[in-house]
Amino acid sequence: METQLIVSGQPIRSRFFLGTGKFASYKIMREAIISSGAHIVTVALRRIDPQAKEENILEYIPKDCIVMANTSGARNAEEAIRVARLARALGCGNWIKIEVIPDNKYLLPDNAQTIYATEVLAKEGFIVMPYVNPDLADARRLRDAGAASIMPLGAPIGTNKGIALRELIKILIEEIELPIVVDAGIGRPSHAAQAMEIGAAAVLVNTAVATSDDPVSVARAFSLAVEAGRLAYECGISPIRESAQASSPLTGFLR
Amino acid sequence: MKVRVNGEEVFLTKETSMAAIIAERKINPQAVVVEYNGVILTREKFDSVILKENDALEIVAFVGGG
Repeated sequence: METQLIVSGQPIRSRFFLGTGKFASYKIMREAIISSGAHIVTVALRRIDPQAKEENILEYIPKDCIVMANTSGARNAEEAIRVARLARALGCGNWIKIEVIPDNKYLLPDNAQTIYATEVLAKEGFIVMPYVNPDLADARRLRDAGAASIMPLGAPIGTNKGIALRELIKILIEEIELPIVVDAGIGRPSHAAQAMEIGAAAVLVNTAVATSDDPVSVARAFSLAVEAGRLAYECGISPIRESAQASSPLTGFLR
Repeated sequence: MKVRVNGEEVFLTKETSMAAIIAERKINPQAVVVEYNGVILTREKFDSVILKENDALEIVAFVGGG
């Protein structure tokens, strides 16, 4: 059986984290959370639009989930810190995914600003999960700043390109003792399995689930892939070789 | 009296509390938090705050996000 994921001392039931953006309705989002078994789900913070008559998303998130707010929309550390404090005041606990994104085309994060925000928020008692470019020196800085986990992107947000940054993510997994959660770019269950097979602690998926034809079933498919990938990693899968190795005995009785 | 609510100018003709501003917009106070002139104001304080000229309010809530 797989080992339990622990983040910041807290046992997490599933290594599949689900984002709640882009679902056709909160009802479908809720069903996807339940079908996947996700324990950590992310939400964003926005200005209220009184015309939109929006429902309260929290009423649709199962009560036993950890609601982790993200700081999307923040272009620098100061804005991310502001969003994090507002999110905590809304009363969903201390979990915060820091994303500081000054770039609109590729939505790539700003590591330096993220490190600063991590340091400030960790001191204020937040459980900080920073979304970053997979860079070893920066990951060490984040660890030293008090991050609970590091969340490198697999590929740019919403591109469904998979673990394009695989080699760099592998280095973080080998060198950083915190849970490494691959976030962004995971577009297929096979991508999620690949991340888990190289030793990622968890993956976070949103677009690929929410924008599929059947988000409830796809969420389940991702969750199964995460489980399969993790199990394979923990069992010690056989290495890749350059030359063939027979799987059937070559007894030679034909000659 | 002029205040800013979520970036838009709003003119108030009578004394208005934060709770009233929120109620007028049919916003569920349980679902929001307000940044009032840069300071976080939680719902327990909505009744006691009376708005002043040039106050800036950001009324925010959780929405779906990744």
